[in-house]
Amino acid sequence: MATFPPLSMTRTKLAVLARQKLPCSSKSIPRAQLIKEKDDIDYYLEQNIKGLSKEEVAAHRNSYKKSICVDMLRDGFHKSFTELFSLMEQWDKLREAAQARSLFWLQRPLEDQPDKLDNFYHYLTKAEAAERKGYYEEVYNNLYALACYFDNSEDKWVRNHFYERCFKIAQLIKVDGGKKEAEAEAHMGLLYEEEGELLKAAEHYEAFHELTQGRLWKDATGQFLNLIACESLVRTYRLLSDRMLQNRDYKQAIKILIKASEIAREGNDRSMEGEASYYLGLAHLASGEYETALSVLDRYSEISTSLDDELSLGRAYEAMAKVLQSQGEMTEAIKYLEKFVVIARNNFKSLDVIQACTMLGDIYNEKGQYNKASDYFQQAFSTAMEVTKTTLMDETKVHYGIARAHQMMLTMNGYIESADMNSLNCLLSWKETRTQVEYDPILGEARKATEDNIYQFPDAQEETRRSPENQ
Amino acid sequence: MNVIYPLAVPKGRRLCCEVCEAPAERMCTACTVTYYCGPVHQKADWGSIHAKICQLLIPLRTSMPFFNSEEERQHGLQQLQRRQEHLIEFCYTVAQKYLFEGRHEDAVPAALHSLRFRMNVHGLSSVELVPAYLLLAEASLGLGRIVQAEEYLSQAQWTVLKSTDCSNATHSLLHRNLGLLYIAKKNLEEARYHLANDIYFASCAFGTEDVRTSGGYFHLANIFYSLKKMELADTLYTKVSEIWYTYLSSHYQALLHARTQQTDLLGKQFMNDTGLDEAQEAEAIRILTSILIIQESTSTQAPQKGILILKTLGILYYLMLEFSKAQVAAVSQPPVAVRTQADRTAVPLLKRMPATGQALNIQHGWHGQLSSLL
Repeated sequence: MATFPPLSMTRTKLAVLARQKLPCSSKSIPRAQLIKEKDDIDYYLEQNIKGLSKEEVAAHRNSYKKSICVDMLRDGFHKSFTELFSLMEQWDKLREAAQARSLFWLQRPLEDQPDKLDNFYHYLTKAEAAERKGYYEEVYNNLYALACYFDNSEDKWVRNHFYERCFKIAQLIKVDGGKKEAEAEAHMGLLYEEEGELLKAAEHYEAFHELTQGRLWKDATGQFLNLIACESLVRTYRLLSDRMLQNRDYKQAIKILIKASEIAREGNDRSMEGEASYYLGLAHLASGEYETALSVLDRYSEISTSLDDELSLGRAYEAMAKVLQSQGEMTEAIKYLEKFVVIARNNFKSLDVIQACTMLGDIYNEKGQYNKASDYFQQAFSTAMEVTKTTLMDETKVHYGIARAHQMMLTMNGYIESADMNSLNCLLSWKETRTQVEYDPILGEARKATEDNIYQFPDAQEETRRSPENQ
Repeated sequence: MNVIYPLAVPKGRRLCCEVCEAPAERMCTACTVTYYCGPVHQKADWGSIHAKICQLLIPLRTSMPFFNSEEERQHGLQQLQRRQEHLIEFCYTVAQKYLFEGRHEDAVPAALHSLRFRMNVHGLSSVELVPAYLLLAEASLGLGRIVQAEEYLSQAQWTVLKSTDCSNATHSLLHRNLGLLYIAKKNLEEARYHLANDIYFASCAFGTEDVRTSGGYFHLANIFYSLKKMELADTLYTKVSEIWYTYLSSHYQALLHARTQQTDLLGKQFMNDTGLDEAQEAEAIRILTSILIIQESTSTQAPQKGILILKTLGILYYLMLEFSKAQVAAVSQPPVAVRTQADRTAVPLLKRMPATGQALNIQHGWHGQLSSLL
């Protein structure tokens, strides 16, 4: 086509801008330049006035879901298509089920999320192409990538679907000595664990453990697979035993926990081993086998000491104290509990401190040493105040109140039994003021509590304020 | 009586040939309401559809009898409507069956009838016309008249485009025929696109594993086969045969189950039946046999697939009460199985089929062959 030198045209700014935005106008050749020869028109049209191709029309007319499906099919990826299609149907079913239960269904359909569909297309087609050639490892990798992509709370079911697929594919991979199979077993275990089917989960984890035994495989983050297997197996066993303990099936629980601790020992991870023995100890305690519980917990405390793990040492002491308490050996129990309090306090574990103090208070309460009991309850109460948890505060408040009442009861009893003027006066004065009286067996005298002592306990104060009205 | 003279017909009344719409010169003596331009068309129509619907046409083409009350008039109209609808379906199925049997010439008049009745009932721009257009297109394709087929298909496509409520099944059929058209025009790229659409719509309508979806897979496989992408074609063929096998075997099991449950109760024998219409049966046979031929000619390393198809064919013929063909299919399985020593599942099928007691006359032959095999 003949092009003539450009005409000098003066345009307003706006027109220039408008021309730049127009998709058809070519910047270099203004229209006036184009003088058409006989068959030139087609070339010009092709270059500058582009119609829509068939694909583009289809893309506009059809949903993205359909375009993706059609793209898969026209290249012959019918398995990918079937899978995607069934997943979408499954989504519909899930939604209907949710509607039937009149739940508000938040999740968007897969059709409306083009990026997810793109991922499906990419990985599924790759996987199918690899499957056709028999490269199962690549199939596995692609499916696993999909599973990872859908590893979020709203698409759990998609991820689970691909975990299952991975599991099936992994059984065909024999070249790597079973590493992929082991990984797939781990995923299946995780899947069942999340669904709460612990027995099945344990089965898969056992297979995982067996496959990784004696191997030096590492996962993407550099952790040994065998260690992971041990950890998950121990965790599942523990959850299982928890369930059994709830059903009072102590024998089974202990059996499983023994298995767990054996596996933990194999895993060469001291802390895990300690953990396992801790739960075993608790199970023994629950079933009433105190001696075994003590020996197992001893081991736990040993491990904790060797690891310098104060927290678990504290837990060990606590558990041992519980065992001793149920055995009736209070002094021993107190010893351990005091250690526990110290550790907890050093580590600023307020909740542990509260618990330990409460337990100590209980023990002293039972032994009749009300002073000490109220002392510990006071500690528990003030710690609870620090963390400002109302439920805990209420609980410790009640404990503390009871201990105080016990403490005062003896003195009051003494006054009433002695039945002389002095005691009567004391009683009357107490009734008026309702303040703290302390037991003084020698003098038989009640001393009023110091002002700041009252101040610490708003309850007591309130009592004093209310008493005149009651009378 | 057979011949009529166009000049003798009253003014304004034009008699047209049933097939080509040219001025008519002959009349069917049986119904006296159907006209033809010549003996050729009359014979074609008779062979195709007219023999089956000759008497049914009389009430449609004569004027309605006089009714005394409005009620009766309404009733009469409704009846007419129903007759027409019945004829639409009937002609459609007949045409379809011819198509699957490969008798394209015979299918044309039947399809034309279906189209004409559809126009009467639904109007000119209704989606209901699409299936008839598609049949005609398919018949023209079969006859090698590509231009005509394209015309019909464009008509159908335009109708579908204009309509807002077109079922997925119709979409699927349209795309399947477009795909076939493009295969005939050797434009495989376009054909693949349309067949993919066909599979998609069929899956939406019936599910991915339905026998009605399998047709799309089959044609797609054929394309890949002709493109020499054997692996791809092979997976698709396998898919098709699996679809048919699952359908037929589950149907067969259900039938067996029903028979064992109910014979003693009513003394009634259950007839064999495939649960498919004739057209689908014809399609099944065509698809399965052609897959079988392709399998035999290409792959020797996967005999299981061949056995699967033979088994499927065996069940199909058995259910269609064609025992001799069933026998052929069943008997040709064991040699394959024995030769490869891979699969002996075929033998139980062989035993099962005479056990049902229907194929008495061929039982002996089977047992002979079985004993020679084992």
